[in-house]
Amino acid sequence: MIEAHRILVPVKGNPTDDEVIQLALELARRQKAQVFAIHVIEVKRTLALDAELQEEAERGEAILSRAEQVAEKVQQTLHTDLLQARDVGPAIVDEALERGIDLIVLGITYKKRFGEFDLGKTAPYVLKHAPCRVWVCRQSV
Amino acid sequence: MYVIIIGCGRVGARLATMLVNAGHDVMVLDLSPTSFDRLGSEFAGQTMVGNGIDLDVLIRAGIERAQAFAAVTQGDNRNIMAAQIAKHIYNVPNVVTRIYDPMRQDTFKALGLDAISPTVIGAQVFYSMLTGEESRENV
Amino acid sequence: MYAIVAGGGKVGFYLARELIGQGHEVLVIEKDGARVEAIANDLGNVVLKGNADEASLLADAGANRADVVCAVTGDDEDNLVICQVAKRRFNVPRTVARISNPANERIFRLLGIDATVSSTEIILSVIEQEIPSQSLVPLLRLRHTDVEVVDARLPSDSPLDGTALRDLRLPAESLVAIVIRNGEPIFPGGSTTLRSGDEIITLTRTAHEEALRKAFFLGG
Repeated sequence: MIEAHRILVPVKGNPTDDEVIQLALELARRQKAQVFAIHVIEVKRTLALDAELQEEAERGEAILSRAEQVAEKVQQTLHTDLLQARDVGPAIVDEALERGIDLIVLGITYKKRFGEFDLGKTAPYVLKHAPCRVWVCRQSV
Repeated sequence: MYVIIIGCGRVGARLATMLVNAGHDVMVLDLSPTSFDRLGSEFAGQTMVGNGIDLDVLIRAGIERAQAFAAVTQGDNRNIMAAQIAKHIYNVPNVVTRIYDPMRQDTFKALGLDAISPTVIGAQVFYSMLTGEESRENV
Repeated sequence: MYAIVAGGGKVGFYLARELIGQGHEVLVIEKDGARVEAIANDLGNVVLKGNADEASLLADAGANRADVVCAVTGDDEDNLVICQVAKRRFNVPRTVARISNPANERIFRLLGIDATVSSTEIILSVIEQEIPSQSLVPLLRLRHTDVEVVDARLPSDSPLDGTALRDLRLPAESLVAIVIRNGEPIFPGGSTTLRSGDEIITLTRTAHEEALRKAFFLGG
């Protein structure tokens, strides 16, 4: 089994959130690792980076609460953080660097764009730039 | 009237010919001499190879006595700059410029330039032909 | 300060890098995909792909809250339009345009763009500083005014050798700021005496330049 001590799980309010949190927690349980869940609020350039975005902040807190509930059910600790950044992908990579993360677990939904399956822009960015191991979980169709 | 046209593309050439046929005195400027081929060998106006945003070229082309100026080069920004030079520096009475980008056309119209956007006009014409009505929107 | 740099060529890139180093928020706008990637790799997530002369893109870029827009693409006419759109449509307080053709400085000024930078002019003035001549070398124009900082190097047989500054007949609205002698700056007082070979840095209105030149070189 691979070793991981600090696991980062970005959550965005998708159906895949629960799955990736559970996966990370299960691995953490076996390895006695720490899990960090983050939600990134994307701030458009028309606003300052530290602008107060009440609606988005409330939504973000709700998403993180849900993740905490999942952790409570299995009696494990989950660290959560709400971030504001211009782009989600770079924010995830920066967090991974700053916190010395050794595994990122990312969930993606099954999305089609122009009739083709589309990975979105966050997953490819994280896969390309992350300093550590990345697991991507695609939801079932 | 003495008219200067910068840009001898399809529109510039056609406009030049129309004006000459109507009896006006026309000078066409373009960076490339081969573009004047579009005027045909019978063109009765004048042509000059040169940069329409260069003051020396414009003076040699007679801008100080021009009564009209049309900027129809391929570049929106070049047209915008030339039109402003003609209007605000040389006070040419009648200045018209082509600006393809609708948003830029908006901005410069607000600045007092007579700007035509073929994009906007074209879409409006297609709209009327397809729906049988005039578009009420100023998209 | 939030600065938008339009144009991701060498000038734009280094300008952005300096501004970021000084702690400012910067966004580079560049239309070439490969350049965009290169800039993102070097400077981080501070670049947007697109045409800076398009109002819709400037809107996305947050031009509404930009403190300054620097148009540093390679084409003067593009830089003109970028600055005009930024100023008129988004009320950006300061706009700076790079110009390659020095003749455009006048045109830009007449069309409302006060701050222009022409590297051609700068290089010319550096060249002129190295060549002794009987002319005033313009070093800098103080923005929004017609006051220039000019450099006059007195020749080796200057009629002003031994003249005190207070006895110099300078035109009105001219101020001698510094005299440089053998590489050392002298902050002058009225009794400071000029010597041949001195380099005199003066502030003056453009209209008085000719009178100033005569004063320095013809002992007027």
